[in-house]
Amino acid sequence: MANLQNIRRRIKSVRNIQKITSAMDMIARSRFNAARDSLIAYLPYLDKTREIIRRVMSQMKGLEDESPFLCTRQQMQEFQEQEDRKFLFLVIASDKGLAGAYSSNVLKDAHETIEYDGSEDDVSKPVKEENYHIKNFDAVKSVKAAGAVRSSRSNAAANVANKEVKREYHDADYIQGVELITVGRKATSHFKQRGYNIIKSYNGISERPTYHYAKEIADLIIERFMSGEILDVTMIYTRFVSTMTCEPDDVTLLPIVTDDYVSAENLDLRESYIYEPDVVSVLNNFLPRRLATRIYGAMLHAAASELSSRMNAMSNATDNAQELIGKLNLYYNKVRQAGITNEINEIVSGAEALK
Amino acid sequence: MATIKLELVTPEGGKVFGQDIDMLIVRSTAGELGILPKHARLLTELLPHAMRVKFEGAEHLVAVGGGFMEVTPDKITILADSAELPEKIDVDRAKSAYKRAEDRINAYKNSPKDSEIDIKRAEAALARAKARLLVKNIPIN
Repeated sequence: MANLQNIRRRIKSVRNIQKITSAMDMIARSRFNAARDSLIAYLPYLDKTREIIRRVMSQMKGLEDESPFLCTRQQMQEFQEQEDRKFLFLVIASDKGLAGAYSSNVLKDAHETIEYDGSEDDVSKPVKEENYHIKNFDAVKSVKAAGAVRSSRSNAAANVANKEVKREYHDADYIQGVELITVGRKATSHFKQRGYNIIKSYNGISERPTYHYAKEIADLIIERFMSGEILDVTMIYTRFVSTMTCEPDDVTLLPIVTDDYVSAENLDLRESYIYEPDVVSVLNNFLPRRLATRIYGAMLHAAASELSSRMNAMSNATDNAQELIGKLNLYYNKVRQAGITNEINEIVSGAEALK
Repeated sequence: MATIKLELVTPEGGKVFGQDIDMLIVRSTAGELGILPKHARLLTELLPHAMRVKFEGAEHLVAVGGGFMEVTPDKITILADSAELPEKIDVDRAKSAYKRAEDRINAYKNSPKDSEIDIKRAEAALARAKARLLVKNIPIN
């Protein structure tokens, strides 16, 4: 027979856990409200910069040499032929756990994008609207395969016929071709364990991002990009859709490939502008700002997603604890009742025997 | 008379200003610009200054701390780093910011080799503080 005291102890410990989870739920809820408010306040600014950049970019074809941030796919291939360039990724995840699948979802998406190698199971995946990294990679893939660094893997000689060797994330040669900037302790430790080259990580700012940090990250990205060692820069973050849905999203930040902006949907935007003083200086001042704007927007999205995931996870945990307490109480009472019945039985049979 | 819609958005404050106006006068990196309704499409960078917004027969001042302006025939969009309507300005803060920036610029002028001072930043801060005080109609001494 189960010990009454053990059951009582168990109920008490579940109650304590429930208290903690419900407190965390409330904390996440109030922080989430603040995060959502700042995200909503920021959205008009974000949408406007996006609209302007699309409009300007639709007329930039042919002006690629004027700005360091612009290029064509063709040029990208040429860069790659000259020297083996790296890819830079910015991954935004959380600092703390206990937020359900939030971190693992965004990290899984990050792996899919970072490890993209043009093989078939990758192609079948839906491509995100602004993820130009895949296009960029496809464009330089042929060059990459012939490039010095990546084909130097030990089994390359044996696989001459099979040029597209499937990449794995622990492939040392592959990791050499990637640089990472991480936001959030979870992302940092995840990629550090797997041996990635993290050039900078920002910890402790994921819940309450400030423009200041976004600017710093943007400056760092621009500095790396201008060094000429980086082929493209892609950001992976979680987009906040509603409190129930948050989806990982990939956005390619730099360079801006003009081919992508000359499409049918942009045709109505192709009205020419007057630029004061001139298009190149306006664009060169606007793009770095746009980059910081975008990173800040992504950080706000990520913060709202993280807190809403934590809110959901914690309120689920509180509900589960409540259910468990109910079950344990029922069990406790059953055991207690069984004990009493047993005692009565003993007394009655004892009295019976005395007659 | 035709009007043009002005939208002023900032990263932190969302939409600061949004209504139909008669005329807007701003200071861009290339000089002062007056925007009337049905203006041609234009994109420019703004300096920190007090911009003049004319509507309902009067001229109103709005402080902007730099940013970009996009003009279309029926709408002006300003993406400002910061922007305040007169009633939102903290005069004491603007005054002390003005003083601080001025001191820094003077210190820089006395010893330009002392690279600890970011002169561009100080000048931008001075321009922002000046714009705020100007909007509040407070004389700068």
